[in-house]
Amino acid sequence: MDLTPRPTPESPKRKRRFVPAVIAGLAVVAGVVIIGFFLTSSIDYYCNVDEIGVRDGCDDTRRVRVQGTVDEGSLESRGSITTFVMSFNGASLPVDYEGEPGGIFQECIPVVAHGRIVDGVLVATRIEVKHSNEYEAENAERITEAEKSACS
Amino acid sequence: MDDIGFILASWLITLGSIGVLAFVTLRRARQLAEHVPDEAKPWL
Amino acid sequence: MVSRSTGTTTTRVIGIAAIAVLAWVVVSAFFITPADFQQGESVRIMYAHVPAAWIAYLAFITTGITSGISLARRHRTLGFDRVAGASAEVGVLFMGLALITGSLWGRLTWGTFWQWDPRLTTTLFLFVTYVGYLAVRNIDGDPHRRAKRSAILALLAVLEIPLVHFSVVLWRSLHQEASVLNPDGDVRLDDMMLFTLFSGVVGFTLVFVWMVIHRQRLATLRDLQQGVGLDAAIAARRNEGAAIAGGGQ
Repeated sequence: MDLTPRPTPESPKRKRRFVPAVIAGLAVVAGVVIIGFFLTSSIDYYCNVDEIGVRDGCDDTRRVRVQGTVDEGSLESRGSITTFVMSFNGASLPVDYEGEPGGIFQECIPVVAHGRIVDGVLVATRIEVKHSNEYEAENAERITEAEKSACS
Repeated sequence: MDDIGFILASWLITLGSIGVLAFVTLRRARQLAEHVPDEAKPWL
Repeated sequence: MVSRSTGTTTTRVIGIAAIAVLAWVVVSAFFITPADFQQGESVRIMYAHVPAAWIAYLAFITTGITSGISLARRHRTLGFDRVAGASAEVGVLFMGLALITGSLWGRLTWGTFWQWDPRLTTTLFLFVTYVGYLAVRNIDGDPHRRAKRSAILALLAVLEIPLVHFSVVLWRSLHQEASVLNPDGDVRLDDMMLFTLFSGVVGFTLVFVWMVIHRQRLATLRDLQQGVGLDAAIAARRNEGAAIAGGGQ
């Protein structure tokens, strides 16, 4: 027979039932909100330059996110405006951006520009760098190689 | 360079959170283990 | 004297190995691996970010498998259920770390902390799902009912993982495609970078195993302290002892 003194179980706290239930509820709400954001921001993150006005959802009449590679030698700063040309698959699009693009922005790198197309120029409000999934040690030889491949 | 702050922050947050969870786990185990007879602990 | 620890020789060995491997990863990530040709120094975040994401997947898959076993077994003991819970807890930690480090890395390379892009959105959704799962586990009630309820939830939640991992292939994403775990089997990484990344995965796996063992034992203690299965556990040990004593005669 077991005569060891038994520790008395902690008195059941209502808190323990209540707090997790609230968190579970919040998680469901958060899940719905996340899906909502996802669906309203169109599932494909961007349109390529050559698809503007061609592909569904890439009309030149509304806000778009356009992906292309920054053309070599096209990058210019005029006052607070940064201008460059981005290309993809033979099509090109000039871009005006108010400010300095962040991240590792440079020529010959693929970027996603958010904005509206006005008279054939993408007036961007946001620029993101879409870097590749390749990782190599930094050295001069490879930089030229990478630039060549990105711009060829 | 600004980058180093972000890089250090990533690592500090990563290793720090792992350390904190490990510490909290051990401390809580210590508190609870006192109230349970050794006979009932399957790992001993 | 009552033992006051959930540690055993095995967990101590795993713990020390984890610390040693992670120390190497930090040294290698900061001082040995080269800067990336395109991303520069910021690539050093990768050695924390990618293993964290992978171990989160591993943790959630472990939760799924142990939940399946716990549902399938006729004589339900709570062991598998506790491993499922412990693994999800560690998974939520690592997924959270992957989101935070990814956000910092994104600021450096993309130029933004967050975007509602397919990979980021599905990852956040996965994270929130498991936070919800843990909350459901912690709603009090009969432990066997709790085990069944959370096992069903875990089996549904694990289905999100392929969606997250292949989101970069299924849809256009700001996030780059996988450099290692990709469908075409190419590894697009410098050798030393790959080795450090691999070390990070080993180190985080050790942390995961250590943490799951300890937290699973902690869950056992929590149940025992509330009186759940205490008699059964002691009876089992008595029988074990009797069997050993009987075998020795």
